[in-house]
Amino acid sequence: MEQTVQGILVVNTETIPGMMITETFGVVSGSTVRAKHVGKDIFAGLKNIIGGELSQYTELLQESREEAIGRMVADAMSRGANAVVNVRFATSAITAGAAELFAYGTAVKAE
Amino acid sequence: MADVVGLLVLGIILVVLLPFLLLALIGMLWAVVYPVMLIWAVLFSGKKLDQQIVNTASREASLRKTLGRDPLTTIDGGYRTGITSCGVVWAGVVYGPSHWHLLIGWINNLVGGSVDIFQKVISAGRAEAMQRLRENALRDGWEDVINVRIDTSDMTPQGARKSIKAVEVFAYGTGVKYT
Repeated sequence: MEQTVQGILVVNTETIPGMMITETFGVVSGSTVRAKHVGKDIFAGLKNIIGGELSQYTELLQESREEAIGRMVADAMSRGANAVVNVRFATSAITAGAAELFAYGTAVKAE
Repeated sequence: MADVVGLLVLGIILVVLLPFLLLALIGMLWAVVYPVMLIWAVLFSGKKLDQQIVNTASREASLRKTLGRDPLTTIDGGYRTGITSCGVVWAGVVYGPSHWHLLIGWINNLVGGSVDIFQKVISAGRAEAMQRLRENALRDGWEDVINVRIDTSDMTPQGARKSIKAVEVFAYGTGVKYT
């Protein structure tokens, strides 16, 4: 995670410190549904008996979130914004082992 | 000629049956492995959870000691001045109770009152997610994280009885740098 994602500044605060928002481009969003291969699902199922962290799914959600943010940023770019503020995340489990990740925010022009 | 046709038919039947045979094999393995794992969980999962809690707490304490403060705040940061750069930072952990904990929780549910075992498990996951947020932020070179939000979402789909039982704790915020 760098300061910017593909040249777009992404923050979850309403304003960007030290910058002035001059224009808004509406809500931008990105979502993705990803799954791991069945071997990892079985392994996670076994690990779940013992309890604790399921690192396969932690990794899955990490990758999915990066993809969702990437799509959101692509959306912002296509609208000519240079920052996305007030980013929120939502997660929902569709079936066991596949999660939908959704990232949304407001695309703005900041100077 | 009849031999060739017979082999061909046999081959096709085997190929068609292969997925079912594999499923049956996995089912048989599961029947053997599950009780062993359950006994393991009964013996060690409580200890493992305690170790995890202690580990997270000690990492958090050492980080606080080196920094002299907690880098996370939930406020928007409007009062801060001299921020030169910022960017989103996040960390997530998928954390679940063991099947032994599920059993304890189920019994506790019959009696009613506070189900302490689940509270303990989810708190452990949450503490771990927050600690990873701190570590990620420092790794990326941020000095503070403002506007921290913590989400907890269920990894078990509604109505799915035979699936993993876990929650995902997700912490995110805006990393800031002063100079």
